[in-house]
Amino acid sequence: MVTRPVTIIGFAAVIAALVALEIIGRRRTTRVPTLGEWLGYLMRARAGRALILLGWLWLGWHYFAR
Amino acid sequence: MAADDVSRPQGHPGRGPEAPRLPAGGRLARKLVIGAALAAYSWAAASTAAFTTGALLIVLLPGAVIAVIAVWRPSNRIPPPGRMDVTGFSYWAICVAALLEWEASAFKDNSSWWHPALTDLINPLIAPHPLKSAAILIWLLAGWALVRR
Repeated sequence: MVTRPVTIIGFAAVIAALVALEIIGRRRTTRVPTLGEWLGYLMRARAGRALILLGWLWLGWHYFAR
Repeated sequence: MAADDVSRPQGHPGRGPEAPRLPAGGRLARKLVIGAALAAYSWAAASTAAFTTGALLIVLLPGAVIAVIAVWRPSNRIPPPGRMDVTGFSYWAICVAALLEWEASAFKDNSSWWHPALTDLINPLIAPHPLKSAAILIWLLAGWALVRR
């Protein structure tokens, strides 16, 4: 079936875009924040900090515990 | 991004700026020891079988450590940016939304072979023990990076 490669290419394209944004964000003259910057911005509030850390914990459970 | 320390409230049990700093050699040695311990933990954790108590514990233990550090003993925090450019952030938001949508569409189709979820693609990649160890190590380092924010 042709849909499986399409799905994989879709994932690869989005992940490549995320990597590209991180690279662009590390340039000095850009309006694009890095991953760490926008995560840090969201984590200023206690609720945001808790949610992001819970998301990290969920990722670990999802990929390594099950 | 700047890595300056964030000032802490008075009397907080975390390491304050007045805490004595190790010499450069000591800091390097401490990093090496911590790195070796994390690598050893990752290697041991990767040997646990999925859906077992051990597999659950290898995730919950770092989670508990991170929670304790986050609540009671914050590390030297990296200050967040004072403001966020909405246009710049929107590019991230669009990509993250696209990733979640792509994943949700696969999940909706019961993650069949012809429309696999990201998990179905990643799990075979991290099946070999060294790669699973590396993935766990990256996850641990990501947790440390997050708790410093």
